[in-house]
Amino acid sequence: VTAFTAPLSGLRSADEGTFGGKSSALGELLAGGIPVPHGFGVSTGAYDAFLDSAGLRGELEALVAALDVDDVEAVAAVSATVVAAIREAAVPEQVRAEVHERYEALVAEAGDPALPVAVRSSALGEDSAEATFAGQQESYLWVRGAEGVCDAMRDCWASLHSPPSITYRARRGDTGREPAMGVTVQRMVDAETAGVMFTCSPVSGDPSVVAVNASWGLGLAVVGGDVTPDEYVINKVTGELVRSTVGDKTIEYRPDPEGRGTVRVDVAAERAQAPCLDAGALTALAGLAGVIERHFGAHQDIEWAIDREGRVAVLQTRPVTVVPKARGPAGGSALALVMATFGVEPRTESGS
Amino acid sequence: MATTSAGAASAFPSPFSIETPAGCEGWEELYPYYTRFTEARREIDEGRLWFWNSMHFPLPMPAFDVVSIDPPYQAVGAWQNRAFAVPPAMGVDYRILNGYVYITVNPVTDPEQIAARAEHFQRRAGHYFANWDELYASWRTKMEALIAEITELEVPGLPELEPEGLVFETDGVSSYVGLLDAYRRALHCCDLMWHHHFEFLLLGYGAYLTFSEFCRAHLPDIPEQHVAQMIAGIDVLLFRPDAELRRLAKLAVETGLQDAFVDGRTPSEIETELGASDAGRAWLQELEQVKDPWFNMATGDGLYHTYRSWLDDPTIPYASLVAHVAATVAGDDVERPVERLRAERDRLAEGYAALLPDEARGPFEELLALSRTVFPYVEEHKFFCDYWFLTRFYNKIREFGAVLAEHGWLEDAEDVFQLGTHEVASALEELCLMWATGGPPLGPHHWPPIVARRRALLERLGEWTPPPALGAMPEAVNDPMAVMLWGVTPQRLQEWAESLDGAPTRLTGAPASAGVAEGPARVLNDPALLGTVRDGEILVCTITSPAWAPIFPRVNAVVTDIGGVMSHAAIVSREYGKPAIVGTGRATAVIKTGQLLRVDGSTGVVEILGEAPA
Repeated sequence: VTAFTAPLSGLRSADEGTFGGKSSALGELLAGGIPVPHGFGVSTGAYDAFLDSAGLRGELEALVAALDVDDVEAVAAVSATVVAAIREAAVPEQVRAEVHERYEALVAEAGDPALPVAVRSSALGEDSAEATFAGQQESYLWVRGAEGVCDAMRDCWASLHSPPSITYRARRGDTGREPAMGVTVQRMVDAETAGVMFTCSPVSGDPSVVAVNASWGLGLAVVGGDVTPDEYVINKVTGELVRSTVGDKTIEYRPDPEGRGTVRVDVAAERAQAPCLDAGALTALAGLAGVIERHFGAHQDIEWAIDREGRVAVLQTRPVTVVPKARGPAGGSALALVMATFGVEPRTESGS
Repeated sequence: MATTSAGAASAFPSPFSIETPAGCEGWEELYPYYTRFTEARREIDEGRLWFWNSMHFPLPMPAFDVVSIDPPYQAVGAWQNRAFAVPPAMGVDYRILNGYVYITVNPVTDPEQIAARAEHFQRRAGHYFANWDELYASWRTKMEALIAEITELEVPGLPELEPEGLVFETDGVSSYVGLLDAYRRALHCCDLMWHHHFEFLLLGYGAYLTFSEFCRAHLPDIPEQHVAQMIAGIDVLLFRPDAELRRLAKLAVETGLQDAFVDGRTPSEIETELGASDAGRAWLQELEQVKDPWFNMATGDGLYHTYRSWLDDPTIPYASLVAHVAATVAGDDVERPVERLRAERDRLAEGYAALLPDEARGPFEELLALSRTVFPYVEEHKFFCDYWFLTRFYNKIREFGAVLAEHGWLEDAEDVFQLGTHEVASALEELCLMWATGGPPLGPHHWPPIVARRRALLERLGEWTPPPALGAMPEAVNDPMAVMLWGVTPQRLQEWAESLDGAPTRLTGAPASAGVAEGPARVLNDPALLGTVRDGEILVCTITSPAWAPIFPRVNAVVTDIGGVMSHAAIVSREYGKPAIVGTGRATAVIKTGQLLRVDGSTGVVEILGEAPA
């Protein structure tokens, strides 16, 4: 059986090549006992199968090969053509069947026949950098029904051909092949508050603090920079709140009352300027940050959400790429360091 | 408030621009000639940064108390500059202005000289670090011997007629020789004490500072108090006096004596009531046991003659007993939570070590171990030197004062402290001369008017507020001494400079003990007034000493003018869980008793919320 899908709990880092970075990282988190909303991954093979069954592969490659990437209008026109073609093409039957099966399993687990899920792209390898560059971390939130998932999955695939993505790949000289992409489907968290946290100080690199940014509603507001979030710095050793700055969180994203997608709404002034996390939530987040950091053995940049029942969920984690370097002397004996305090310069070779 | 431009805040007043406060003309006569800002050194002195050493000398100096300036600065310079040869720093210069002590540190600037000193320093200081425990053990032996010597030093009176022994025994010496010799020996003991005092201190602070800077480099967001908590001793001797008081308070409650400990009663009123019952007498006996040595604490840091020992002035320990008894009756556990403190200390050390990158963990643990090795000295020397020795020494000087008063040279023994050490020597010389000759003395005419004038001068000088610093703002503060002992950093200097403008409603200092508290201010720059502190007040003082620890349970928070996170105010505040801010520069000058304050011990900000009620 060619499995185009797998439950997130069945994936590990080693699966990145077939399921993409996001799905495999979430699988790792689940394996580490970290609360991650359940869901499933769709493999890169599903996209390949889609291209083949729809007969699109040759057409896409020809279009891109003939393109002058400096011609903005031409890029936009090619993008529109490709995106339309992808959206019109049918999802291969086996992929559809697997998506239906996995979705129904989630429905059964949740007891909600129209269970809302988030559908996101799960890029891999070099394409992961591209995805970041091109701002292509498309997320389709509050998607309901297996067919809705299939539509959103196709939208993720289509997003590979947005004008910036086409331009980026062309400039990199990478036009000879179709990019690979997996898709992640996860139960939606009805977030009361959400945000991002670093397992070290993003400013100083201090490894003994957790830095949390938080705002009302879905994490979109923080990630997208739509609000000035609350900032909290928590000491990992004692769990004490080292400092906090309450932001002005004027808007929030919430599920659309119509049932599908999200809406951006204003936040009343009083609530906008109230702290959105309490001591208990901060303690839970800081504890989780420690577990995740130890699990990966490196500093992590973590997206999280807290639902209306106060349950914390981790939505995504990735390594902190730029950790500011500590300024201090690392090596040397204690005595040599004390000597330096008294102005004894470290010994240098004579004549140098 | 803090919108002063950088330019306006870049310099302090010239020491030569500071006027003599009205009515203080002639203050210079209290002090030796070399302590003044004078024309001969004007160019050099104007180009240096002088800061008021309010940590050690918050009050105008009585003439005799210069004995707490010269010997320590001789000793610190001799050890640092001539014995250990600290590469970039020589010693501490001081001047007295309007009665207050300003200091500056002499740097070594020649790179070749620094390099040459570095060779010596590594060998000499290295020897101390390598043999610390052994050297410290012998240090304690010699300090205890010195304390015994000053205590037992006999101050002979001058009898009408010498005892027959002088005549009939072969090697007798006349009383006046003994008196003059005793005075010289007392001063000699004082010189030795200060010499011993600085033997380890710089090296100890240096090890601590290295650890603290290492932490700040690798853990830039670490709260300073965590650094201090990781090092701070748990069984340090300085906590014993208060621990003994807590034990005595529990004993009092257990034996049904709590009703004697009424807030507002004097120590003698309490003792009178206790003396009336068997249980009370047993408790008093227990107290006597504790007094030696634990009541050899000073009411202040010991440097002034006015800072009496708890033995002489039990106001502080009794205020503490009253508070501890009340807490015990209320069901609180007043015993120091040693186990909790130890667990907390280990949790921090292990927690931070685990978070450091592998290559930094080794040096971190080594530096922490070294800091813990040197810490007991850094804390305990104060008990032996500043409290135990100095209170005994000043009491010994009172005995010379008593001899001078007995013969009319002074009106009261306490007047001896209005004379400089050389003037006391001179008065004793004349007393011995006149006692021997039987001629008409001048002293009784000469000294009493001088004493009266100086008392009046000191009172007026005490009303003047010295600026925190004078002279040129340095480009860099890289002297390990200034940073270690006084917490003088460029940032602190800038804050001091800004606080010179206007009447601020906000002061900043080093956050030393976390938490937020509000309450009315109690500004104290004289420990004699500690008894005026009321429950719930915020203690505002130049600096506290461990002898003040008993007062901490009563206050809501502590704010000091000077000191770092290892200062005693900081340590004791953390122990009691009270918010504390140290090193604000001039809280005692800006804040008035009764003003409502908010103290945030996590950020280091003190706000004046409102004026004292009329």
